[in-house]
Amino acid sequence: MTEKILTKDKQEEFLSRLIKVYQVFAPVEKEGNSLFSQINTPEELAEEYRNTKRPPKELFFPHSEALFRFRKGQVLEENPNEVERVIFGMRPCDAKSLTLLDMVFNGKDFKDPYFIARREKTTIISIACARPQITCFCTSCGTSPVSEEGSDILLFDLGENYLVKSITPKGQQLIDSLGDLLTDTQESDLKKRDELIKTALVEMKSEIPTEGLKEKLEGMFDSPIWEKIHLKCLGCGICTYLCPTCHCFDIVDEAVDSEGERVKNWDSCMYPQFTIQASGLNPRLSNKERLRQRMMHKFNYSVSNYGQTFCVGCGRCVRNCPVNLDIREIVKLISGK
Amino acid sequence: MKQIQSRLRQTARQLLSEGKVDLLIGYRQGSLPLKTTPCFVSQEEEAVGLVWNSFCTNNLAVYLPGLFRPDPRSRKREEKKVGIVVKGCDCRSVVGHLKEDQVPREDLVIIGVPCQGMIDEKKIVAKLEGKEIIKAKEQDGQILVVDEKGQEIRLAKGNFLRDSCQVCQHPVPPLYDILIEGETARQALSDEYAEVKELEERSIDQRWEFFQREMSKCIRCYACRNACPLCYCPECFAEQSQPRWVGTTDDPSDIMAFHLGRIFHTAGRCVDCGACEAACPMGIELRKLTRKLIKDVEELFGYETGVSVEEPPPLATYKLDDDDEFIK
Amino acid sequence: MEKKKPNNGGDQPQNRQWQPKIVAFLCHWCSYAGADLAGISRIQYPPNIRVIRVPCSSRVNPLHIIKALQHGADGVLVSGCHPGDCHYGSGNYLARRKFALLKRFLEFIGIEPGRVQFSWVSAAEGQKFASVIEEVVEDVRKLGPARRLVKNSVK
Ligand code: SF4
Ligand code: SF4
Ligand code: SF4
Ligand code: SF4
Repeated sequence: MTEKILTKDKQEEFLSRLIKVYQVFAPVEKEGNSLFSQINTPEELAEEYRNTKRPPKELFFPHSEALFRFRKGQVLEENPNEVERVIFGMRPCDAKSLTLLDMVFNGKDFKDPYFIARREKTTIISIACARPQITCFCTSCGTSPVSEEGSDILLFDLGENYLVKSITPKGQQLIDSLGDLLTDTQESDLKKRDELIKTALVEMKSEIPTEGLKEKLEGMFDSPIWEKIHLKCLGCGICTYLCPTCHCFDIVDEAVDSEGERVKNWDSCMYPQFTIQASGLNPRLSNKERLRQRMMHKFNYSVSNYGQTFCVGCGRCVRNCPVNLDIREIVKLISGK
Repeated sequence: MKQIQSRLRQTARQLLSEGKVDLLIGYRQGSLPLKTTPCFVSQEEEAVGLVWNSFCTNNLAVYLPGLFRPDPRSRKREEKKVGIVVKGCDCRSVVGHLKEDQVPREDLVIIGVPCQGMIDEKKIVAKLEGKEIIKAKEQDGQILVVDEKGQEIRLAKGNFLRDSCQVCQHPVPPLYDILIEGETARQALSDEYAEVKELEERSIDQRWEFFQREMSKCIRCYACRNACPLCYCPECFAEQSQPRWVGTTDDPSDIMAFHLGRIFHTAGRCVDCGACEAACPMGIELRKLTRKLIKDVEELFGYETGVSVEEPPPLATYKLDDDDEFIK
Repeated sequence: MEKKKPNNGGDQPQNRQWQPKIVAFLCHWCSYAGADLAGISRIQYPPNIRVIRVPCSSRVNPLHIIKALQHGADGVLVSGCHPGDCHYGSGNYLARRKFALLKRFLEFIGIEPGRVQFSWVSAAEGQKFASVIEEVVEDVRKLGPARRLVKNSVK
């Protein structure tokens, strides 16, 4: 795959050209919160951001999604076709999270056509992180601040220029279509890129002991450790809703009389209602069981099912938990380190 | 501060060693700068981990009703004595619990701490304009922050207090078993309802705009509800499904219905501890709404929340001459 | 997603002039009986109300009102017994406190004054019932169709 240079004075044109052809999504600042949203001009792009508060998963797996309309048992209209989209400015951890969501929504046994359609029609342009935050621990979670995984194109911010690297054929195609804005790389650019990679990895200060964690958790379902960890947890939905890999949902009918929509809504394993059964029985009675589920799912079950830890180390849950229940500390406690 | 902290540790050690409490809820150092984290101490030795500083924002009263509820499996309530560290506002939440019979007074040891106001982390983050905070500590009424470039920044604590602390009228807990000796050095704002009044004076369309804008940020994580000590219902109306009161979609109307329902449930009960607003990850100005009710409860019924256990809650009582003007 | 207009329970076809739809919560002991009396006495009042009978005005939960607005009511009326007449002794006194707060709160967040109204109507006040309904319908007609708080699936 190719590596090219985009000088920053051309960044605006680069984005404008994309906006002409695609729906372009990028980090924007909306009412004080950063999130991925459609932009219509390059100026809307958030100026300085480390990573968005809201993860980009909602562009593929929206908070609420009407699957179809129905009337008297008849399906009226189905999922509209998505248009071609580009997401600009994703971070490598979030790009990785999409590959994890693929395993869930586009797996061997179950396929979610809505999710798959969006994935297929989206090209992802990520930007490598030069300065990880103090809450970032992606290198412990199978990715890195400069990882290509999940991106179609990866940019390196070299100061004056971006080094533009195509990762997939989809990315290559996009680069080719904007070839006139790009120039060839010089030896010095490659050197700068290598430096960026080096500092990014050195700057990564936070980590969790994921090695052997799955095996460790194997026998820990009934461990007394869970009795204490959950005590301060409020059982809110912040850590799951803001997590780029959490993907639980609930399906409800929003109907008036016999006409309405079948809607897929986000749900969270941290909510008591998540597991309540028709009989009234709730197998996960307290925050203890719910927090255990969250940890088990991320670090054990998903490793069994998909061979991957369902945490990419973005640190969103760490930053936003209202009681500072830090997932890194929980993992350390579990692994006894 | 330091003195309060050592007195607090001393008290905790004593209570635990004498068996006067089985469990003590306090604060310990958090994992991130500008944060402490709630902790549950049951061993005497753990008392040294307790901290007291300007980052003790969480309202620990939120844990009380759950601790005294019967175990869902055995349906029995474990006999235990619980100690809790409270600031003025947290204490007033406890008064609410006692009034509403959620917590047995005899099993509770209230450790009051005179409060000098807590820091609003969001204000400091905003001040640093995107620069990351690596370290923070408190020193002589100042907050010392080290940013990512290693630069030290000194901030006057008074400028970064939580909004709820700036209008607090009860820095000293009104009810306690033990009061830690200490100062409360703070002045309340001259007009505590200035923000509410400012909104009241706007046009109806502008008020709707404000409400709509705030609600549009909501991700429905329910942290505001779960952080509120008074939102202790084992099953919230927002989650009841037979009948379903509020839809679970992200339709703005459903989000608004949730908030209207929740906030109205706190009418005459909310003590303005600010826990809901502090917990909200999206920075929604919930206190503007809760304070409107506090103001009206005061105006209409002359009632102040969280000061007396005996006085009946304003919506569970009435006067023959209550305002009737608005009724046809 | 493009939405077809669902039948939201309104009985006016789109092309006819808009008529306000009002949900009226009437207490069983007074206001409902007042409505009955208005009917028996053949007193005319606008046909825009949908009556929901409740045991007492204090039975009405603010959520009932919010839900009515969410689902397409243009106005809501809650009506109970006059102070002192409550069948249960103090229900309406408690309701009065609750609704005094609620009315202010709804207006604070931008719900137009007049959308949500309250009245005391006794079993003997057929005439008052009719005039209350007339006034409420007129107020809501002036405000126009409710747009705030309405669910997208109902709009
Ligand atoms: S861990 Fe934190 S964010 Fe997650 S449910 Fe508990 S309190 Fe909420
Ligand atoms: S668990 Fe926390 S750190 Fe891991 S991916 Fe989710 S939000 Fe990020
Ligand atoms: S509503 Fe908010 S401010 Fe009021 S008591 Fe609850 S958490 Fe505290
Ligand atoms: S905490 Fe904030 S985002 Fe979460 S439900 Fe409450 S208002 Fe909405």
